[in-house]
Amino acid sequence: MTTLDATRPLDTRPSADNYLTHSRGVLSWILTLDHKRIGVMYLVSVLASFLLGGVFALLVRTKLLFPGEVSWMSAEAYNHFFTLHGAVMVFLVIIPSIPAALGNFVLPIMLGAKDVAFPRLNLASYWLWLLGATCVVLSLLMGSFDTGWTFYTPYSTTTRFGGVVPVVTGAFILGFSSIFTGMNFIVTVHKLRPPGMTWFRMPLFLWALYSTALIQILATPVLAITLSLLAVERIFHIGIFDPAWGGDPVLFQHFFWFYSHPAVYIMIVPGMGIISEIISVHAHRHIFGYRFIAFSSIAIAFFSFLVWGHHMYTSGQSGLMNVVFSAITFSVAIPSAIKVFNWLATLYKGSISLTTPMLYALAFLFLFTIGGLTGLYLGTLNTDIHLHDTYFVVAHFHYVMMGSALIAMIGGMHHWWPKMTGRMYSEFWGRIGCTLVFIGFNLTFFTQFMLGSQGMPRRYYSYDQLPGMAEAFKTYHHISTGGSYIMALGFVITAIYLIHSLYRGKPAPANPWGGRSLEWQCPSPPPHDNFKVTPRVGDCYDFSVVRWDEASNGYIVDRSLDPELNPNAPKRKGHH
Amino acid sequence: MHALLNSLATAAPASGHTSFWLPRSGSTTAPNVDFMFMAITYVCYFFFVLVVVLMVAFVVRYRQKGTKLEFHEGASEHNTPLEVTWTVIPVIIVVAIFFGGFKGYLTLATPPANAYQIDVVAKQWSWTFKYPNGAISDDLVVPAGRPVKLVMRSDDVLHSLYIPDFRVKKDVVPARYNVLWFQSDTPTGKRADGTDDFHNLFCTEYCGKDHSRMNRKVIVKGEADFAMWEKDQAEWLIKIPKDELYFKAGPILYARCSSCHTLDGTPSTGPSWGPYNGLPAIWERTEKGLTKVNGKPLSELIGPGKEFEHAKGYIANSILQPNKHIVDGFAPGMPTFQGQLDDLGIDALVGFMQHLNEFDSKGKLKAAQPAK
Repeated sequence: MTTLDATRPLDTRPSADNYLTHSRGVLSWILTLDHKRIGVMYLVSVLASFLLGGVFALLVRTKLLFPGEVSWMSAEAYNHFFTLHGAVMVFLVIIPSIPAALGNFVLPIMLGAKDVAFPRLNLASYWLWLLGATCVVLSLLMGSFDTGWTFYTPYSTTTRFGGVVPVVTGAFILGFSSIFTGMNFIVTVHKLRPPGMTWFRMPLFLWALYSTALIQILATPVLAITLSLLAVERIFHIGIFDPAWGGDPVLFQHFFWFYSHPAVYIMIVPGMGIISEIISVHAHRHIFGYRFIAFSSIAIAFFSFLVWGHHMYTSGQSGLMNVVFSAITFSVAIPSAIKVFNWLATLYKGSISLTTPMLYALAFLFLFTIGGLTGLYLGTLNTDIHLHDTYFVVAHFHYVMMGSALIAMIGGMHHWWPKMTGRMYSEFWGRIGCTLVFIGFNLTFFTQFMLGSQGMPRRYYSYDQLPGMAEAFKTYHHISTGGSYIMALGFVITAIYLIHSLYRGKPAPANPWGGRSLEWQCPSPPPHDNFKVTPRVGDCYDFSVVRWDEASNGYIVDRSLDPELNPNAPKRKGHH
Repeated sequence: MHALLNSLATAAPASGHTSFWLPRSGSTTAPNVDFMFMAITYVCYFFFVLVVVLMVAFVVRYRQKGTKLEFHEGASEHNTPLEVTWTVIPVIIVVAIFFGGFKGYLTLATPPANAYQIDVVAKQWSWTFKYPNGAISDDLVVPAGRPVKLVMRSDDVLHSLYIPDFRVKKDVVPARYNVLWFQSDTPTGKRADGTDDFHNLFCTEYCGKDHSRMNRKVIVKGEADFAMWEKDQAEWLIKIPKDELYFKAGPILYARCSSCHTLDGTPSTGPSWGPYNGLPAIWERTEKGLTKVNGKPLSELIGPGKEFEHAKGYIANSILQPNKHIVDGFAPGMPTFQGQLDDLGIDALVGFMQHLNEFDSKGKLKAAQPAK
């Protein structure tokens, strides 16, 4: 490829030959090396898993409408359902959702590259994901498991249900899928940036994916080791974690959280990257404090490795360790706070379109603020002692994992949907879906803060035996379950209008939102090779060169106005 | 500042009352935890309102009409003093919160030297509390006005002892002794409706099927009351005449077995003591050697010159070394009661089994007084 005149507009005309039509047949998909197709396959698989995990959640919530025993769900069945909900949502949905599904699709295009650095590794990662998911399904057939998604020993090494070994094998394999994606992204970002794309020109979503990839390749092997040891102990009774065979159960918790706390950031950091994109694109405003946001992603990635012990304040680890972990934990609060203030400042003096992706981004700001602030209670030593393993923790991590990471993922999906499918969805139904999800989410999870601070432990099948508390708990649980139904309705509506858009949606212009980064300067859907010529890159957040184009019914990036690309361009207005 | 601290103190629940956020406060360390809780809550209110108000205001003020982008003067790309400010202020706040929690935690983590020690054994799915004088209790009864130290261990998987009203919690781990302490100054006494008041005690570390049923009462007694209770509790078995043991002590002791062994043949974690699978009730099937253990009938284990001389020996052994012989169809998993049941206790339980027909399915005596 050659670099042509940088000011010439990139070719954004829709073409009959795009990545969806480039080749045909089932084999052309399952053996594809195209990052876009792999991203789409990941997206479909992740959404299917989300449906499954969601059904488990609704079963759990429905049981909790009734304080006591119910004939249609035994305590053991309940334990299986909350365990499956957690394991499916964490390992099959949230961890791969943004990097592997959206990141795969968007990263090379945003960067201006033809594909990721190792396309075959990318395909292998998807196949490993499928294999891992198969193991999870297999575990359901082999007696399932009731250990909680944390697999705490010695319960997990002694439970009579036979699904533990298959599911940890699945998580082990899924870990490698995640490592492959991470490795690919790191090399791609280092080696495949086109001319002009310096580190500090990269869209912030790429910084976020890069930070995430660092965590993925450094932390995930620890999970693999831990789960292997768990399986070895369960099969061969070699004492590692179970004191009955000479092991130490608290060691398992150290190992597990050494991965799983960084994993929390594997889930949320890419979500933060999406929010940086959505807010600046839909507010048509240069992102505020680019370097602070970029560095805060790296800072979070770094600190995430040093705070695992805050999951173990009550485990009996030494008091000194508790104090050290508490102190370091608070340092993670700072980069998160910085990001929130920067996003707010990006709204200031913007030109804000209240599109569906923007509504999701605003919902994220609202929910992440609650999720982040309630983390303060849990980092603080003496309040965490009261709140640990209660519903307060459940509420907190749902605000962060679902209210933030998943809402960002759904916002990102709406943001890039026209690019991925070449179709527009109904804005009207999009806003209704987002509103229902937002209201339902808050009803479901805000009530759980009160449940927890009042003392209701998590993972409880029944609560009728808690004298003096059962009545108040019942009211909160009813509101919470009602909220979960509203949320489910919102997601059903979302699924319907998105699927509808595939068949009946208006054709999408190349740049429906007024975006400035490179993916908005190639056709929707993108051609097989993304760009016909290697693009030169200007400032991805300079929206002064973006204008509405009646002919294409979308925005265009007028490259001749960009002083970075054209020295004769008129001086920009409104920016400095 | 002083006014703020006062308002924090009043927002937290006074002892005996539940607030919107927190249950009643029942220990000497709880007010400190509540203070930190409410202090953080006000920090949260402030930042939440700040973020949401600015967000809504900006969206309303700078909403784009139509498709034309509007550019406003002074929309800067960065502002270092501003960014440093909103980095430094949160740093100061979290450092303050950290120290508040740290100070409170030092107290929580350090049991006073004169604390009254109670040993705790947790197992699936029950708690046992052992007192210095040998008394054993299913509920946690503690003296008022005195620090109490719980030395805890688990017989099987992880558990966690949590008393919300006291704001204390600690995991109970096998092969480790974890310590937790508290002091409650107010005896629990009676409720308005005349029933005994108490604090809840929960298991908060997921431990399997009956995790949510693993809860107990915490009863705080005044000094004299407590001393009396402790003495009675240690001697209650001795005081019961031998021939009344099975119906006076049996049902009380059976309560510890009831989460796994039913009396009416209903399947559960362990073999029912009632008739099941065509076998008669426990005493009859053991005496006749009908139960199958490790694939063989018990008659091969019980009898003159065999492992057990008498059926009672087999039952006592099953209580003290439960995993030595496993009844067919069941998995090993019963905890040992070694050190918790002495000979009198075992006599009472075996007597209870021998007279099972005098009790209902919950272990309650059917008649007011059994025929002698």
